[in-house]
Amino acid sequence: MPIDTATVTTNPAQGRPSTTRLMAYLLLAGLLMLLDQRGQFIPRFRAFAESLVAPVYRVASAPVEAVRGVSTYGRSYRSVVAQNQAQREQLLTQAGQMQRLAALEEENQRLRDLLQATAGRDVAFRFAELVQVSLDPYAHQVLIDRGAVDGVFEGQAVIDGQGVMGQVESVTGGQARVRLISDPEHAIPVQILRTGQRTVAMGTGESQRLSLPNLPLQSDVREGDVLVTSGLGERFPSGFPVAEVSRVDRDTGEAFMNVDARPLAALDRGREVLLVLLADAGADTPVGSGADDEAAHDPAQGETPP
Amino acid sequence: MSRPRDRAGLLVAALAVAMLLTLIPLPGWLEPLRPYWVGLVLIYWTMEVPEPVSLGTAFVVGLVLDLLTVSLMGLHAFSLVVLVYLVRRFRARMRFFPPWQQALAVLALLVNDRIILLWAITLLGEPLPTWRYWLAPLVGTALWPWIFLGLDHLRLARRQADRH
Repeated sequence: MPIDTATVTTNPAQGRPSTTRLMAYLLLAGLLMLLDQRGQFIPRFRAFAESLVAPVYRVASAPVEAVRGVSTYGRSYRSVVAQNQAQREQLLTQAGQMQRLAALEEENQRLRDLLQATAGRDVAFRFAELVQVSLDPYAHQVLIDRGAVDGVFEGQAVIDGQGVMGQVESVTGGQARVRLISDPEHAIPVQILRTGQRTVAMGTGESQRLSLPNLPLQSDVREGDVLVTSGLGERFPSGFPVAEVSRVDRDTGEAFMNVDARPLAALDRGREVLLVLLADAGADTPVGSGADDEAAHDPAQGETPP
Repeated sequence: MSRPRDRAGLLVAALAVAMLLTLIPLPGWLEPLRPYWVGLVLIYWTMEVPEPVSLGTAFVVGLVLDLLTVSLMGLHAFSLVVLVYLVRRFRARMRFFPPWQQALAVLALLVNDRIILLWAITLLGEPLPTWRYWLAPLVGTALWPWIFLGLDHLRLARRQADRH
């Protein structure tokens, strides 16, 4: 970067900077913004420079972590016991549900075998926490405290307890940056759970609204329908809940409806997330096209990030 | 030669603190009120220090801020270059304003900055921000006297330490 130290030392204090110089810098900044927006060159530079600024995030998040630590110690024994009890009950209920799910999964696999479809996916999760720093709200990104050393890779899907949050955009040694599904640049392939219809959910910039611009007028969609990942695009494994349809407007005068959906994940207030690990991807390729099963293993071969 | 470099050290320290204050998370309802810390420090430095900030320095500081906050690369660089240019353009007048008038000038600078940001985010296809978006310049103006006095104090203390 050109630093014109000459101005600092030689220009007298009263000197006004020239308009030419102003224009040059503004043009340069504009050019950078354009390149970054198009995803050319800048993301690579950013990824490189990011490992340098990672310690800054640690310093910035330290006060909040400290406050949080103190407040954890300060909680009464009784409230901890009560919380523990509630969580054990929740765990038991969910374990019961899981047992049924395991049986269903087995049955599903047998049916798939009968159809000679591809093998079902085996999904594992890794826990991660958000780094408590405040990034530009218009960047629609969050930092998590796991990075390359924990096996995080670019394009990895990130979910929370309720639904899909986003995908890993860049990875440094101990941290990773996650692009949220609310980013206007982001699109996630989804499926309406009730009907199986496939479409795409686009971010709108609001944390409480996704938009589904590609649904034809005659499609069957209602308020309250749950959208799950369809697995197309090979970025997000299939079957994870994404959003709930919150508004259906057929009165558009065009061939497509206006459909909005509310993300199920706590995009703007979450603290803990799960990184999705795929042991065996490709379960979602249509029947009979198991040949590209191998390709789905490699996240780098998926589509380019939006 | 050592004295300007010392002052540059103070500027770097002030900017580092300002950037940390920018990154520290706030509860959701306070988030839109966060003042433009880095902008305020640069306004002070450009206005009061005999060797003001050059446009190039403003540009680089902006790039660092873009990198830290994961903004669109060049956005803060743009905003800070405009800010520093305006302060230097009107420096002679702003320095001799009475305090309340100076605060008004700072408010105008901060609002102007918000307008630049608004222009950028509409180009990005973001939804228009709510009215809270315009509160941050007011908070910045309210904090201005304290930043002014605080940095003045630090600079004078540094100068006296140099003399002894």
